[in-house]
Amino acid sequence: MPGDPTAILIGNPNITQKTRERIIHEFGLDKPLWMQYILYIRELIKGDLGVSFYFTGEPVIKIILGKRMINTLVLMGSATALSVVIGFITGVISAWRRGTKLDLTGLIISIVFFSTPSFWLGLVILLVAGYYLHLIPLGGTVTRGLVHVNVFHYIADYLHHLIAPMITLTLVLYGGYYLMMRNSMLETLTQEYIVTAKAKGLPERRIMFKHAARNAILPLVSMVAINAALIVGGAIVTETVFSWHGIGSLMFLAVASKDYPVLQGIFLIISITVLLANFIADILYAYLDPRVRY
Amino acid sequence: MKKKAERLVTFKGKTGFAVRVKRTWSEFRRNKIGVLGLFISLFFVVIAVFAPIIAPYSPSDIYVGAPLSPPSKEFPFGTDELGRCILSLIIYGSRISMSVGVIAALINISIGTIVGLICGYYRNILSDALMRVTDAFIMMPSLALMVVLAAILGPNIYTIILAIGITTWPTTARTVMSQVLSLKERQYVEAVRAAGGSDFYIIFHCILLNVLPIVFTNMILSIATAVLYEAGLSFLGLGDPTRISWGIILYYANTSGAIISGAWWYVIPPGICIILLVVAFTFVSHGLDEVLNPRLRRR
Amino acid sequence: MKWRQIKVPLLEVNALKMYYEVKGKRWVKAVDNVSIRIDRGESLGLAGESGSGKTSLSLSIMRLLPSNGKILGGEIKFENEDILNMNYKLFKKKIAWKKISLVPQAAMSALNPVMKVGDQIVEAIIFHENVSKKEALERVKTLFKLVGLDPSRINDYPHEFSGGMRQRVMIAMALACNPKLVIADEPTSALDVIVQAQILSLIKDLQKNLNLSMILVTHDLSILSEICNSIAVMYAGKIVEYGPTLEVYEDPQHPYTKGLLAATPSIKGTRRRLKSIPGTPPDLLNPPPGCRFHPRCPYAKDICKKEEPPLVKVGGRRVVACHEV
Repeated sequence: MPGDPTAILIGNPNITQKTRERIIHEFGLDKPLWMQYILYIRELIKGDLGVSFYFTGEPVIKIILGKRMINTLVLMGSATALSVVIGFITGVISAWRRGTKLDLTGLIISIVFFSTPSFWLGLVILLVAGYYLHLIPLGGTVTRGLVHVNVFHYIADYLHHLIAPMITLTLVLYGGYYLMMRNSMLETLTQEYIVTAKAKGLPERRIMFKHAARNAILPLVSMVAINAALIVGGAIVTETVFSWHGIGSLMFLAVASKDYPVLQGIFLIISITVLLANFIADILYAYLDPRVRY
Repeated sequence: MKKKAERLVTFKGKTGFAVRVKRTWSEFRRNKIGVLGLFISLFFVVIAVFAPIIAPYSPSDIYVGAPLSPPSKEFPFGTDELGRCILSLIIYGSRISMSVGVIAALINISIGTIVGLICGYYRNILSDALMRVTDAFIMMPSLALMVVLAAILGPNIYTIILAIGITTWPTTARTVMSQVLSLKERQYVEAVRAAGGSDFYIIFHCILLNVLPIVFTNMILSIATAVLYEAGLSFLGLGDPTRISWGIILYYANTSGAIISGAWWYVIPPGICIILLVVAFTFVSHGLDEVLNPRLRRR
Repeated sequence: MKWRQIKVPLLEVNALKMYYEVKGKRWVKAVDNVSIRIDRGESLGLAGESGSGKTSLSLSIMRLLPSNGKILGGEIKFENEDILNMNYKLFKKKIAWKKISLVPQAAMSALNPVMKVGDQIVEAIIFHENVSKKEALERVKTLFKLVGLDPSRINDYPHEFSGGMRQRVMIAMALACNPKLVIADEPTSALDVIVQAQILSLIKDLQKNLNLSMILVTHDLSILSEICNSIAVMYAGKIVEYGPTLEVYEDPQHPYTKGLLAATPSIKGTRRRLKSIPGTPPDLLNPPPGCRFHPRCPYAKDICKKEEPPLVKVGGRRVVACHEV
């Protein structure tokens, strides 16, 4: 990664040449690149992700796996869960009633939201609900400077701040799940066993969910797994708009200040999460589809 | 023997091409959503091409009006913090927004299709390696990668195009690959191979021409997502500040405190344009999808 | 067509017209003025090529038509009750599967791959009758034994069974609610000959032991002769010959029936060249005027091209639709 980190430190005229050399030596920046890499891995195994440049001296792990991670997980987790559920239900119903006004309306609404830039939607919601209607705060995870009386007060304030970004993200995400579910359902509905279920005279809702959706949900699981990185990586843009102290805004901060240890740490955590998510998805898939089991 | 197989395949492939395009178009014409999308996209293309003629002011005309003033008869979309006419900015902005979208999508599709073809058709070290790379990148959060890339490479319009193109090709590659895999097993491919057709012949005549519909549909959709990504990157400040795009307009809107001062005319119009353009392209690709991949057997 | 006026027929289809609507108000005349009748204990074979309307007819009886399948005339009565215009929910609860059930085409893929086979049968039983899940499972085990399957396998999934066994599962499922009439649509098409024979003998046993009435839909005449006591030959949406199986086989009257029988290979008897019927089945959007078979008929006369032949009695209990007769 380009951009000599020492250049930033050097920019500070108060650091003498001596100190600079010492810092370089401490950080091991004077050793050859491959050696630096090995040292990194060694520290990694010890669980030490290095020390941040920007938050001078703070261990990277503490920065990433601390409050910021929780914030992002809460935001992205809730938004993803909500959008998956909404996308699933609306997708199933839309496919069942293909071609009707309901279906077309659902399609158009989801496409419109899917095409909306998340940051813009966030800005608009901030404008309308925050600036004009004074319903929601204009940013941050909790109100600054407010002393919280007890835990519930804290949670309430937190939730108050959470609503806008969560709704923004849900609206932008649900379209993808809706379309995927709808397509999958349409394919499933052409299968023979749906005819059998109808012939048995079973009620519509049962066929729709227990027979069709149960089979059509499989690609949706794959899709959620693929988007797993998003849950951890956070939506950089949305977090920035709402000043939500999460991994997304951290990433942006790190990029802007060329804080490479933090960036490396974030990508590492993301990679691990992706592997884990895929693993879980495989297990889930085997549970849902008996044909895959061994 | 080879001649007979050739005729079989060419009929499906080359000579049929012009006919197929015509037939696709006449079917597409009937799809209301697709046609609507097409109209809107063409509208924006016209605006972009004829921007200097249509726009009342040029982006360099600063302080032609009071800064951050709401919409009025003279300035239908109000003015920005430098006193520029926002309507003109938006009209000019369409050029960058759309061209970045199209070019990035082209990069995406070219790399993606080639990789997809190789991975789907061949079973060698190269294809395996490419597949691993593709899979690895599919999982990564594209926006994060783009941000890092764009930040490293500098605020330049070409960096943005490159960043988007490079981070989005894996998804295309995966789609193309699965299509190629299923096409490869078709019987007429076996027939051509038995008749002695070379690999290149098969790829070109049997497979490539049959993945083109999917690639084309994907291309349109890629343009849509590329426009969205460009807006996002520009909004974060990674765009080229010397140019105007809808995303950059929103960046300035944000940094100049439009939210805090309630300058809604600065924020809403560019966003609506982005939405309209992306929706238009999505509609077109949806219409194409319905025509090229009919969902058989409505029950 | 009044053969036996003694009992009320089990199923009566009178002059049924079912067309599929295609883009632009055009109609595919899949079932055109068809009448059949099944009595208790009787098995009717519906024979014909693909596209003759036999599957469409069974779908109409079960009210499983796709959204573009419209009934434009006629009636369907089960035990003298109009089931065509009956309230759909009522039909689903009282008639479907309880009185009439279906072994659908492509039984191989007609089972839900993510549900245990036992559960799929249980859900039908529970919906139609007031029994507990345990009782339903017991009944499923009995059904399995009846069709020759191992009752301990009720908790297995469809992909764990072979094609023939899945067919047996479908048959067990069709019998789950003790229906009076079973419609079997091509029950042996996708099976190899040996399994075919096993399934056929199973069906024959069930017929005998349960006094089942059946409609067997198929294009394979050889299996019809084994199981059915009457046969209705369909062509292009119409019935062209109808009567007791043996009579139709020994003395076919309609040129199409003659052609079909001539095209069936037989191990017994003299070896002869297989004669196929020239031409292809007609386009049901625009069927040929007059008798629909005339373009392929070796005996076609002028009148065949203009007038549709009515179904006339040809001695005993047979009817044929042909100008030649």
